Amino acid sequence: MKPFARLAAAFLAGAALLTGGATAQAKPFKVYLSMSYIGNDWQAEAENMVRAMAASSALKDKVKLDVQVSGPNAQRQIQQINAMVQAGAQAIVVYPISPTALNPVIRAACARHVVVIAYDAQVTEPCAYNVHIDQTEAGRVTAQWLADKLQGKGNIVLMDGVPGTSVDTGRTAAAKAVFAKYPGIHIVAEGVGMWSQAVARTELSKVIATHPWSGIDGLWMQVGCLTATSMEKESGIADNALKPCAGEGSNGHRTQMLAADTTVQGAQGDYRPMGLPSISYASPPYSGGLALKLAVQALEGKTLPHNIILPLPLVKNETVKLCTTGTWNDMSQGCNVFQPALISNPGWFAAIYSQDTLELGLQAALHGTPEN
Amino acid sequence: MSGLVSSHRSFMPELLRKRGLLTAIAVFLLLLIAVNLLSAAPMGYFDVSYLSSGGAPLALAAVGQTLVILTGGFDLSAGAVISLVNVLLATHLGTTPGSEILWAVVGIGVGALVGAVNGFFVALLRLQPIVVTLAVMFVTEGVTLLVMDKPGGSVPADFAAFFTGSAIPNLLPAPLILIVAVLVIWGLLKQTRFGTALYAIGSDADAARFIGIKVARTTFITYALSGAAYGLAGVMVTAQTSTGDPLVGDPLLLQIFAAVVIGGTVLGGGRGGCVGSVFGAYALMLIVNILLVLNVPAYYGTVVEGLILILAAFSGVANANLPVARWLAAPRLPAWQPRRGGAAPTVRLGMDGPATVVPRVPWLRRHGEVLRYSLPAYLCFLIVLVVTGFMFGGIGPHYLGVLAVLCSFLIVLALGQGAVILTGGLDLSVPWTIGLAGILVAGFAQGSADAAIWTVPLVLLVGAAIGVVNGAGVVLFGLPPIVVTLGMNGILQGVALLYSGGTPSGFAPPALRWIMTGQLFGITPAIWFVLAFIIAASLLLSRTSFGRRIYAVGNNPRVARLSGVNVGRTTIGVYVLSAVCASLVGIMLAGFSGQASLGMGDDYLLPSIAVVVVGGTLITGGRGHYLGMVGGVLLLTALQTLLAGTTTPPAIREILYGAVVLAAVVALRERAPG
Repeated sequence: MKPFARLAAAFLAGAALLTGGATAQAKPFKVYLSMSYIGNDWQAEAENMVRAMAASSALKDKVKLDVQVSGPNAQRQIQQINAMVQAGAQAIVVYPISPTALNPVIRAACARHVVVIAYDAQVTEPCAYNVHIDQTEAGRVTAQWLADKLQGKGNIVLMDGVPGTSVDTGRTAAAKAVFAKYPGIHIVAEGVGMWSQAVARTELSKVIATHPWSGIDGLWMQVGCLTATSMEKESGIADNALKPCAGEGSNGHRTQMLAADTTVQGAQGDYRPMGLPSISYASPPYSGGLALKLAVQALEGKTLPHNIILPLPLVKNETVKLCTTGTWNDMSQGCNVFQPALISNPGWFAAIYSQDTLELGLQAALHGTPEN
Repeated sequence: MSGLVSSHRSFMPELLRKRGLLTAIAVFLLLLIAVNLLSAAPMGYFDVSYLSSGGAPLALAAVGQTLVILTGGFDLSAGAVISLVNVLLATHLGTTPGSEILWAVVGIGVGALVGAVNGFFVALLRLQPIVVTLAVMFVTEGVTLLVMDKPGGSVPADFAAFFTGSAIPNLLPAPLILIVAVLVIWGLLKQTRFGTALYAIGSDADAARFIGIKVARTTFITYALSGAAYGLAGVMVTAQTSTGDPLVGDPLLLQIFAAVVIGGTVLGGGRGGCVGSVFGAYALMLIVNILLVLNVPAYYGTVVEGLILILAAFSGVANANLPVARWLAAPRLPAWQPRRGGAAPTVRLGMDGPATVVPRVPWLRRHGEVLRYSLPAYLCFLIVLVVTGFMFGGIGPHYLGVLAVLCSFLIVLALGQGAVILTGGLDLSVPWTIGLAGILVAGFAQGSADAAIWTVPLVLLVGAAIGVVNGAGVVLFGLPPIVVTLGMNGILQGVALLYSGGTPSGFAPPALRWIMTGQLFGITPAIWFVLAFIIAASLLLSRTSFGRRIYAVGNNPRVARLSGVNVGRTTIGVYVLSAVCASLVGIMLAGFSGQASLGMGDDYLLPSIAVVVVGGTLITGGRGHYLGMVGGVLLLTALQTLLAGTTTPPAIREILYGAVVLAAVVALRERAPG
């Protein structure tokens, strides 16, 4: 009956949120989180981490955070940001639906001395702050790894993100530029994966329909290595014959990268160590939490650079390491993948460690609970 | 759907005709007052100015869509046109006033041109609007990506200021002038012969033709005008955002329909107007502010929005002839007697009676029409197969096996969506019904081996419950299907987020994984299942009384009711069928992927509609065969598989995809009038 209890609890928790007011003291900063969309795993995890940051002992008396979702079109997010400014926002942390469309409203917010800070996706308006990874570097480094792994020759399959976005265009162009330097590397098929494991599954199935695994030597995926490995296993490929896959930072994918003899708890099906040759990179979901922390620093008068490039979270077979508890302290020792027993969703994004966010550990990403 | 309401059209026609508009205005004012009362500071000129420019693209696009819907059409290309115009302007606009005027006009012209393409196929070739505009949408999206593959570009500040600034400083925002001007043009247009023809065609195209209205020409002009309105919306977006973004218009599409329907325009044509749509659009924009002032938590955002949508539509029908009231008060009609009771009227129509009372007709003649509508999809499918064979050196059992599994999702989905479309409705709650079902089945099962036995039926029951609510909204409360199911989609998204806490956990039961990815007698078990499903579904639609009632309702709800068909129960039945099918797809997807993820159903809404109409179903209901829809699934999936096996850029893929859909329906064109 546990699942039903959870369903009921979920509603009750939400109802409590609706009625429960903030009991903060004196004058906390009024900060809004503006999201355009929350209906996918990455966004929901990032939102958890922003809430955890706001609840941390360092910030909970300084910040009153309200999270709002505008709905996935630019006009509504523009309207939302304006309404936040009117409602007295002092800082707005934003996941922008478009890097450019919000510029006028952000400019108007800046003019009223509101700190605007975008995470993960960039905005081009110079008065805003950006917290993100270098997408071009992500594409270039991972493609170079695959090219080296294949020793400069072989047939590869690409899995793109969402066409028409800066992130996808930047990553894909950078990767293709690397592959173009190797005449022996042939891109035999290119799927549109939409940054979703579910879509990657159908897209890769389509590719495999006309290009059986025997004709593929390597994979470069924005999201989908986890899925690709499952599909290889289903078609009877042995663990030690799995194709090299440059891909995402999901916990399932990183678990598969662990040496096959690693002992883990809660392994299930293909969600287990198998020594998959791979490099894992990620747009880390902690960036929203960090953005909130930086926004408060800016409100307190600290001068910040406007373009904050996060270190690219890269994990290779040589560096993949299992966490025991998943606390920030634990992760600061270099671990970067979590026990399947703790993370029942293998598609969950594991790149949650930053040396700058000691408030955020595993519980922050999972439940919005801060470390301290 | 609309038949329930329209049967009472004769009472107080004036009030009824204005009711939609009055409701839209009331909803808008209510939201506006609520925002002002609840927020710390009332809206000032700056906010009104922002609201007017922010809502203008949606309002202008809704005006265009209203024109099309008034003629009984449906235009899916609206969002794509906005994106295209946006990127064209962002890449070409110069800094001189001459260039700015030129490109503003070009933007509107490009919109009109795309609209004319729609109009050509719909009016002159008499193709179904929904499938034509769907194909044109894909092509337009592809062209947009060719113009600009990522956001960027900038437009001069004075261009932005002209469209989004103040006409009279601190008194009158420029966008309001633009919108009022468009509405004035609409008011004048309505008085002309074109305006009369517009409503006449929407009410009854045949009757309009008989009284001498040039149906084709009027329809063509309507689509071109609508395109111009989307073009203007694109110009407005460009001014508002000062840049280009190739994806900026796409998410507006569903909002546009919601704005039109809240504005009182009836899908199917003939009733409504542009003024209501403008108020509907601004009401939708105000929801953002409502969420903020009420401090609605993130997970509840879509739930509250869904409820507001449904309530807004509800107030449009609540004041008169509420079907639920009539239903409660109604004397026991023959149709409410037990189905097997053998009530007289049903036997005469062969609805419930044995098929033998109908004289035998040769097979080909009986099925000639079905064949004509269904065959083109299969022929195009064969062509795609041949091309695939040539490109990849033959096609074998491996290819066919993968293709069959990939088709299975849409084959199941097509039954539900197809049945809804046959009755003249549309189910937009498919994406999150799929998503929620997948999350529930994995969450309940937690990967446990024998959990499939109880989780699958339970989740299908949840699906059935969703369908009952959708159907009840449509039938008992007389709400537009688009609004009910769109609202339901938002509510389900909220439930999925709350249940999963943002991180769906658990694994599909191993039995499900085996069905979707294992082997049985040499092929994936899902293929056996799909073959059985196809047979059962065809029999359901063609050989059962429920199936025949669906067609009867789709052909003409009034005639169906007079013939003893229980229209209400049949309509609720199709929404239940659709939701159960969508839940089944969610379960299958969870088995296919091994686990569920949020948003896993997002990419199935438009395909579910596309396969149904490409398979020869008439979107306005009453015609279509399930096997035709299966042909549509095979064609579109094979085409995507062919393209995925190449390195064709996404932009070209979309163009090819659209072109093939269009080619398929041109081949399927009806030669005879009607």
